Amino acid sequence: MAEPILRVEGISKRFAGRVALSAVSMQVARATITGVIGPNGSGKSTLFNIIAGTLRPDEGRVFVDSREITGASAAEICSRGVARTFQISRLFAEMTVLENLVAVATSKDDRAAIAQAQELLEFLEIGAIAGKWGAELSYGQRKLVEIARALMLDPKILLLDEPFAGINPRLQNRIVEHLKSLCDKGITVFFIDHEMRIVLAECDLVYVLAEGCVVAHGDTESVRQDPKVLDAYF
Amino acid sequence: MRRSPLAIAIVGAAAVMALAVPVLGSAYAVSFTIQLLVFLILAYSWNLIGGYAGYTHFGQVSFFGVGAYVGTLLMFHWGVPWYLAAIVAGLSGIVLAIPLGGAMLRLKGPYFAIGMFGLARVLEAFALGFDSVTQGGTGIYLKPMTDLRPLYFVMLAIGAVMLVATWRLDNSRLGLKLLAIREDEGAAESLGIRTTRIKVGAFVVSAIAPAAVGSLYAAYLGFIDPPTAFAPNLELTTIAVVLLGGMGTVLGPLVGAIVLSVVNELLWASYPQLYLAIIGVIILGTVLFAPRGLVGVAMKHAWLPAGRALFRRLALRCAKAA
Amino acid sequence: MPLTELLVGGILLGGIYALIACGLNLIFGVMRVINFAHGDIMAVAALSSVSIVMVAKLPFWVAVLVVPLAAALFGLLVQQLILRRIEGAPVIMSLLATYALSTILVNISILLWGGGYTGMPGVLSGSVKLLGVNVSLSRVVSFAVAVGASLGIWWLLARTRFGRAVRTVSQAPELAEISGISVGRVRLATFALGTAMAGLAGVLIAPTFAIDPQLGSRFIVKAFAVIIVGGMGSYPGAFAAALLLGLIEVFGGYFAGAVIGSALLYLLMLGVLLVKPRGLLGAGVRV
Repeated sequence: MAEPILRVEGISKRFAGRVALSAVSMQVARATITGVIGPNGSGKSTLFNIIAGTLRPDEGRVFVDSREITGASAAEICSRGVARTFQISRLFAEMTVLENLVAVATSKDDRAAIAQAQELLEFLEIGAIAGKWGAELSYGQRKLVEIARALMLDPKILLLDEPFAGINPRLQNRIVEHLKSLCDKGITVFFIDHEMRIVLAECDLVYVLAEGCVVAHGDTESVRQDPKVLDAYF
Repeated sequence: MRRSPLAIAIVGAAAVMALAVPVLGSAYAVSFTIQLLVFLILAYSWNLIGGYAGYTHFGQVSFFGVGAYVGTLLMFHWGVPWYLAAIVAGLSGIVLAIPLGGAMLRLKGPYFAIGMFGLARVLEAFALGFDSVTQGGTGIYLKPMTDLRPLYFVMLAIGAVMLVATWRLDNSRLGLKLLAIREDEGAAESLGIRTTRIKVGAFVVSAIAPAAVGSLYAAYLGFIDPPTAFAPNLELTTIAVVLLGGMGTVLGPLVGAIVLSVVNELLWASYPQLYLAIIGVIILGTVLFAPRGLVGVAMKHAWLPAGRALFRRLALRCAKAA
Repeated sequence: MPLTELLVGGILLGGIYALIACGLNLIFGVMRVINFAHGDIMAVAALSSVSIVMVAKLPFWVAVLVVPLAAALFGLLVQQLILRRIEGAPVIMSLLATYALSTILVNISILLWGGGYTGMPGVLSGSVKLLGVNVSLSRVVSFAVAVGASLGIWWLLARTRFGRAVRTVSQAPELAEISGISVGRVRLATFALGTAMAGLAGVLIAPTFAIDPQLGSRFIVKAFAVIIVGGMGSYPGAFAAALLLGLIEVFGGYFAGAVIGSALLYLLMLGVLLVKPRGLLGAGVRV
């Protein structure tokens, strides 16, 4: 592939003697949807947090747009064009949805920030809840607001932490539509999840982790039929 | 969308009375209002770091006390006029707050509160102990002021500035960022908000007015000693004012200051222990039954508009234009 | 320089700090609540002991039994009526609540007992020779009881079923619920135990120090310093830190006066908070 926008090389991580990740390498192409799946304990979350900057790897390097970000803080990684959501949503509870978005806006002008927030809410079809408090939202609404909030940063790469968990299939499909249109605009989407159905149907590239190692990767067809994947899960 | 009539009424009434007191009122009324203004200014300052940024602490009186001593020493030893002394005192607050904030704000919530609490106690002990400088327990006596009105108006001006500054902050993106830090600092940081810079800024700003007011208060009393400068009563009342009024709101400290000044006036002089015990009960009661304070209750009942008005209004205007 | 005297003095003081810190650690470890009122419970206990012994003319051991029990009862009430209701709320709320409680206790004490100093002359008076140094009997007795009680709590936590339940709740409350431990009851018992220890500490200092209602605020910052330096939630840590701080305070006070002595403790606490927030030896639990 052309220079990948996200490159992970030989990442290893141990927690108190237990190996969470072992020499994991990945390459993510620009403006694609890449999914990482794996059973519980496969190290998906650890990998995600290392890329997002909340954990440091023991070994290995991470590159965004050919620039190394290994060990950088979450805020620095953010400034390199990476935005993330949280698996357990961390919205600002005593602020409205609109305020949640505007709080992270980077533009200098208030009106521009508000306009951007409103556009994103419309894009995700949740314009109606702009005035609701963060604490009042339903589970599905939270996930969408998390995505909107991350998009406020005009990221090159959108990291999604289990965006489909616990969501009804109809909403899952709508989210996939939105993600695809983001790719059309040039944004790269990288996510981890359990939902095999979505991953094996909609991703351009899939990585399968098991027990801290990459056991398979490729397009959805080859991964679907890979015996090692079935082994890992069943 | 109209601005809230109730909010305007409260602020308007307070402003009118505050301006009228030195002209029409007795010396007693002036004293009462000065005491109220002290609580008000301390409360608005604490509201910035405690209410908005969520870094609650029990050490506000540190800045007040340091300012009081800096100002008093200037006035006593070098005859500096009270208004200049207050300015220097305010600056001393900044000088103290910058390194302190940089160090302390790295601590998480409870540790930060304990650290600041301990600081106030240690500063009081220093004031008592280094008596070659501070005259220790005897205290320092200043020439009493003949006309309180200039001092009064300066205090009123500071109070007004704090109120307006809080209002502007509440309706700004910086205010939203402070609230984001309060709600979830980790998430805010992960999403690019420069938390350290912002919270240290809030902390430093929260130190200026108390330090200046400390000096003004010493000038007003004509006297300062460690228990007066670092009075736990001030600390407690300040927190109670903000908590009872509503943390992280524009009107909260104003409402709280008015209510508690009355309670203070009724009880503090004759029954200080009862007063403090009641303040304790008020804090406890508010924590248990109305943690968002009186203003929070008013917002819930829609007597006051909830949340930050400017954004709602701008949002509506943008939506209409679209 | 009376080295042995200072050493002995420091260690004896440390014993009391250890008992106070033990109670604070217990409460913090299980409930993640920082009990600002801990020192004031101790002060009220000390004052009550004085009343029991000097006014009601009852023997000292009655106070030793009754006062900690009363403190435990107080703790039960506080947990049930106040702390339980704010369990889900942000941490600041429990801070504010115990801070308010502290104020209420201090001021009611002043109203009941007056603001001045009082004491228990004649109780456990006399001195004992320890390592060639003359030490007051009351200090030795307080030290012995304090250490005994601290060790007793440690044994309770390490060896009994109740202790295991307490440790589970403090380290993994969700797991505790699932394994059938009644978290609510553990919290209740813990808080009561913690306040009982504060009560016992109060009884023990009554014969040794001059007592006044503001005693609590003087002790609480030192107690915080002890648990922070020792690592919050760590009992061996608190024990070691208590002895260390007792020594620092006594030595510092001898060389530079009481003010500097106390300030040293605070500065050490601040230093540890900034550099090694999990205690000097890293023994503390995560907040």
